[in-house]
Amino acid sequence: MILGIETSCDETAAAVITPDGRILSNVVSSQADLHARYGGVVPEVASRRHLELVTPVVQEALRDSGTTLDDVDLVGVTAGPGLIGALLVGVAAAKAIAWARRLPLAAVDHLQGHVASLYLEPDPVEPPFLCLLASGGHTMLLDVQERNGKPRVLGATLDDAAGEAFDKGARLLGFGYPGGAELDHVARNGDPSAYAFPVARVPGLDFSFSGLKTALLYAVRKLTAEEGERRRADLAASYQRAIVRALVERTRQAAEQIGATRIAVVGGVAANSELRAALAEARAAPLALCTDNAAMIASAARFSNPIHYPGYLGLDAYASTA
Amino acid sequence: MLILAFDTATDVATSALVSDGEVLGERRSRAVTVLEDIDALLRQAGAHTRELEGIAVGIGPGSFTGVRIGLATARGLALALGVPVAGVSTLDALAAGALGALPVVDARRGEVFVLEDEPRVLAPAELRPSPGTLCVGSGAVRYRSVLEAAGAEIPADQDERHVPRARFHAQLARDFGPAEAVEPMYLRVPDADKTRK
Ligand SMILES: [Zn+2]
Repeated sequence: MILGIETSCDETAAAVITPDGRILSNVVSSQADLHARYGGVVPEVASRRHLELVTPVVQEALRDSGTTLDDVDLVGVTAGPGLIGALLVGVAAAKAIAWARRLPLAAVDHLQGHVASLYLEPDPVEPPFLCLLASGGHTMLLDVQERNGKPRVLGATLDDAAGEAFDKGARLLGFGYPGGAELDHVARNGDPSAYAFPVARVPGLDFSFSGLKTALLYAVRKLTAEEGERRRADLAASYQRAIVRALVERTRQAAEQIGATRIAVVGGVAANSELRAALAEARAAPLALCTDNAAMIASAARFSNPIHYPGYLGLDAYASTA
Repeated sequence: MLILAFDTATDVATSALVSDGEVLGERRSRAVTVLEDIDALLRQAGAHTRELEGIAVGIGPGSFTGVRIGLATARGLALALGVPVAGVSTLDALAAGALGALPVVDARRGEVFVLEDEPRVLAPAELRPSPGTLCVGSGAVRYRSVLEAAGAEIPADQDERHVPRARFHAQLARDFGPAEAVEPMYLRVPDADKTRK
């Protein structure tokens, strides 16, 4: 069995999968409520919570899977990118568990983890494919040629991540934090053509969402509180349409450019209903595996080159890939 | 009782393997490599992880990230080995290593953690040691001039009394129990809580 551990941002997660990629357990303890009062993830608050939760979550994942550490052959942990203090909690715990049992350890890249959410049973995707990774922290287009190894980055956001754009827009519209999912929900009752929000045109295959957020801000400012309330669904629908359109256009453009026959979408934004509908030809990660989780980390560990004892004892985490 | 002790709260991570009060080995490095030390301690003593009966871990105060690396390591070990854990204050360990001394740990941002009647965080200038008081720890080294001007005596920078040596954690450890019951000593709320209305 493979034990996966993920603590890169605000979800403390652990999962157990089989060597052939079946999920036996997938425990995610979200800190969203904790950070809601700050209107965003506070790194020190997140790190403190990860420490409280990391071993209880691992124990729950083992219990749910009906296995014990005796059944585990490999530990996979997110080593980066992410919040460094948060990552170090998961890495320290994973190293200790691996060392105590003399197990190999896989240092998993979080982004490759998202891609690996597509390799889990019952319906795994086979490379090569073009992958749109869109989450609260990242927006990139990846050329995935094989399950093992780093995919080539074709394009990335120049400013906000798509999920960040959703959350910031949601805040402007008075939804709670994180409001991306609620915005998606309310947008279903709105007219997506009510407002013409601009889709930023940047060269190459990159994205830019900061102008869109500003456009929404101006549109909201022009309205009285009462009008804003009444037109909230229209604003949400139009704003969402603009983000989705940017993602879809760029993704199709990239697919054409590299001659990809298959497209996949992963990350928290892959849970967005309009994106899933608009990119109907793409394989989207299962809903439960879109937001950060440890099953995807275990899945990436499965296709990685694990570090054997004692090579990982000094393993450090990394905040960014740069 | 075979105890593995370590403290990663300060810049110098310490570790020790102690059997019924006898120190079998001691090591120093950094928080990220403390597990390399732990591995070396057991190998040098010819001990197996199965033989460990307790873990004594430094709970700070010190670097928040350092404290968490230590506690996450202790929790991971406890989960995998089924051994109980006891938390020991980093300040208490410093005090035990320099009898009669006032432990002063660098808290960054111009402040220090000290053990007066209880652990506190304050500016070095607020710490008024009575003349001749021996001050030890990373904070004593960093604010040597301020503290010496106030009448404190501070050992040379390289003196081992400035380091919370893990043999003292093993010595001070009481109440071994579930790892999750051992809590970090931060002494400071996260910045976001301070500025929050
Ligand atoms: Zn993610």
